[in-house]
Amino acid sequence: MFWQPTSLQEAVRLLADEGGILVAGGTDVFPALVDRPSPAGLIDLTRCAELKGIAIGADAIRIGAGSRWSEIARASLPRGLAALQAAAREVGSVQIQNSGTIGGNLCNASPAADGVPPLLALDAAIELVGPHGLRRLRVGDFVLGNRRTARAADEILSAVLIPRRLEAGGSAFLKLGARRYMVISIVMVAVTLVPGPDGRIADARVAVGAASAAAQRLGGLEARLIGTDPVGSAPADLVSAADVAGLSPIDDVRASAAYRLDAARELVGRAILQAWEAARA
Amino acid sequence: MTTVSMTVNGRQVSADVEDRTLLVDYLRNAISLTGTHVGCDTSQCGACVVHVDGRAVKSCTMLAVQAAGSSVTTIEGLATGDELHPVQAAFREHHGLQCGFCTPGMIMTAVDMIRRHGGQLDEATVRHELEGNICRCTGYHNIVKAILDAAAKMQMPAAAE
Ligand SMILES: Cc1cc2nc3c(=O)[nH]c(=O)nc-3n(C[C@H](O)[C@H](O)[C@H](O)COP(=O)(O)OP(=O)(O)OC[C@H]3O[C@@H](n4cnc5c(N)ncnc54)[C@H](O)[C@@H]3O)c2cc1C
Repeated sequence: MFWQPTSLQEAVRLLADEGGILVAGGTDVFPALVDRPSPAGLIDLTRCAELKGIAIGADAIRIGAGSRWSEIARASLPRGLAALQAAAREVGSVQIQNSGTIGGNLCNASPAADGVPPLLALDAAIELVGPHGLRRLRVGDFVLGNRRTARAADEILSAVLIPRRLEAGGSAFLKLGARRYMVISIVMVAVTLVPGPDGRIADARVAVGAASAAAQRLGGLEARLIGTDPVGSAPADLVSAADVAGLSPIDDVRASAAYRLDAARELVGRAILQAWEAARA
Repeated sequence: MTTVSMTVNGRQVSADVEDRTLLVDYLRNAISLTGTHVGCDTSQCGACVVHVDGRAVKSCTMLAVQAAGSSVTTIEGLATGDELHPVQAAFREHHGLQCGFCTPGMIMTAVDMIRRHGGQLDEATVRHELEGNICRCTGYHNIVKAILDAAAKMQMPAAAE
């Protein structure tokens, strides 16, 4: 069976009554099947009006879960969201960005999902809607591990909420892959830095993906950055081995764990410098 | 089975297919437009790129029912009678193909790229935006030349986004 609800309410009811697999852009669902036929029960979310659109509210920027990466990349958004928009432009290729959604990226919860670090670095939250109502969770409490999220089987991710608190900051997203584009990340980093009146860092968020089962913030490093001015430092001087010691990368065909840790450290340093340059521009 | 109708290359089409039929299989098997190719089945290679309501997408990542009611353009919809589309003509002129398997997807990607960037299209952008299309004859160089030449000849203003 195939259902194509036009409202979120109808989608929630279908999911509760019929079960079935949710599909948005299909760029994770269909390729995973290779040439096997797709599963019997599919609920297509692409026609649910409530999942569409990006709206700038008083306290938060609301990105509908069904927003495609190309829509996010082209939206006019405050500069603090530059890292998220940069990530949007690195998800696969143009055609993948034209189909794939931010909601699908979060719910699929690949350790290499490019959307997660920028959202962690913006203190973003998500909204889940189920038969028992709506709940909000911070992204860090939603993406729990490799393909593991806090979503209950009867819930639909409806939106991503980005508090406007950090939007005036500078941000950067850097992704390391075996080649420039269309690759699964070896490591990716997102940084948001807010300058204070003294010209030093007043607020910092640093998140690293693909180097642990779920992307992580580097709390110790964030705390140490506050009150500093990174100008003139070399990337490696900004980040110590201890700062990345909490990551737990894997060895796989793309890179060894040791290489990922090394790369994470260098990339975090570069992203700090890039975000700071943006913050002071 | 569901009756799935859409507009393909300006023509209204309709076919009874299983719900789980991918758009690419609908195009190739249900309405016999075999110009759109299947290379990898995992959305990597780009041989199946078509335009759905003006968006370039890989038609193996979408069900036919998801495209119901949409307007779809495939490689067969580009030429006007016997006259090749400028991008097709440029691929021919610049030898932008060897075996030809990736060509329909390359051309659909190129047409979308030129529509969005118009005269501002430069080589770096072409190479970047071709990342979703794989050619195993290693023919990228002439493909890039063909796209740049077609863009110059078409000199369309960049479409508003
Ligand atoms: C060639 C290729 C390259 C890629 N490159 C990248 C890359 O560079 N970086 C990257 O991060 N990803 C990449 N991806 C993966 C994928 O494109 C992204 O994760 C994309 O954002 C998924 O979104 P979607 O809408 O297509 O998800 P879908 O495939 O539709 O769904 C993904 C999962 O989320 C669930 N789901 C979707 N929407 C909701 C919702 N609203 N509520 C609850 N559950 C939901 C589905 O049930 C499914 O389990 C690539 C994929 C391909 C095929």
